[in-house]
Amino acid sequence: MNDDSSADTVLIVIDRPPYGDWHGREALDMALSLAAFDRPVAVLFRGEGVHWLRPGQNASVIDQKTVSRNLSAATLFGVEALYADRSTLARFQIGETEPDVTPIVVDPDFYHRFKKVVQL
Amino acid sequence: MNDTAMPALHLLNKAPSHPRFQACLAAMDPADQLLLLENAVIALVDKTASLPAGTRALASDCEARGLSDKVAASALTDMADMVELTDQFTKIISW
Amino acid sequence: MAFPERNNEGFLNNPWQWSEPVATEIAAESGIELTDNHWEIIQLLRDFYKQHEISPPSNRLFVKAVKELLGEEKGNSIYLMQLFPGTPAKTACRIAGLPRPTNCL
Repeated sequence: MNDDSSADTVLIVIDRPPYGDWHGREALDMALSLAAFDRPVAVLFRGEGVHWLRPGQNASVIDQKTVSRNLSAATLFGVEALYADRSTLARFQIGETEPDVTPIVVDPDFYHRFKKVVQL
Repeated sequence: MNDTAMPALHLLNKAPSHPRFQACLAAMDPADQLLLLENAVIALVDKTASLPAGTRALASDCEARGLSDKVAASALTDMADMVELTDQFTKIISW
Repeated sequence: MAFPERNNEGFLNNPWQWSEPVATEIAAESGIELTDNHWEIIQLLRDFYKQHEISPPSNRLFVKAVKELLGEEKGNSIYLMQLFPGTPAKTACRIAGLPRPTNCL
């Protein structure tokens, strides 16, 4: 991605873990809604939000839908990219190539490239 | 027996970043038992968290989050164990 | 076998109880006779649900997904509207046994 396109792209940041509350879901909904109207949008997972990307999730045991599976539809719907913060992947012991949904691994200051950043 | 001497079971369901997570750890006495539920279970794989020895976690919450094979089997607690555990303690604190 | 349980809008309560005869019957309620073109989209939705555990959340995203997977000739709202009248995402998900798209009014 060059600097011109990232200037227009809205970066949705998910920094909350899945399943415990609805913040992450609402953030993903917002990303999909922007994509539905062909607005450039990308999603960055950092902090506890990287748990969205962990392989081997099975949320059926707590009667929920597995978020990593939902997430794998995002690029099909036109979300430009999924990014994951390198330092928090390491903090929570998730290998960079491990996730089912392969994110682009980025450094902590990555979001500075975007003019529109949204965290819910 | 006074309340402070009585061992307590702490039920913690907040993620490590939540202020109450640290509040719970700070409130624990050495004889207390910690049981992690819901988002608190991610602390088990958090390199920055230091949990008391003998910490347990609800198995279904670990499985949902893909943590089952990252956690020692002895720490995993199913619903039946949890009920038994709550019977063992007269003092239970939910965070 | 009894017809699977459905909600008040006619969507299956359990997507895994779906079968082709169920689809035929739900389609008939809306006066739709299923052709190969319908089945192609129904199969796409079934596969989509197996992989992602969600319905396309809105009609626009349904059209986008079809476009991505089958190309522009089929991934456009006119084509899908002809096959699945009303709100295509809702009608198609109902027939394919998927949950109601969350953002379709």
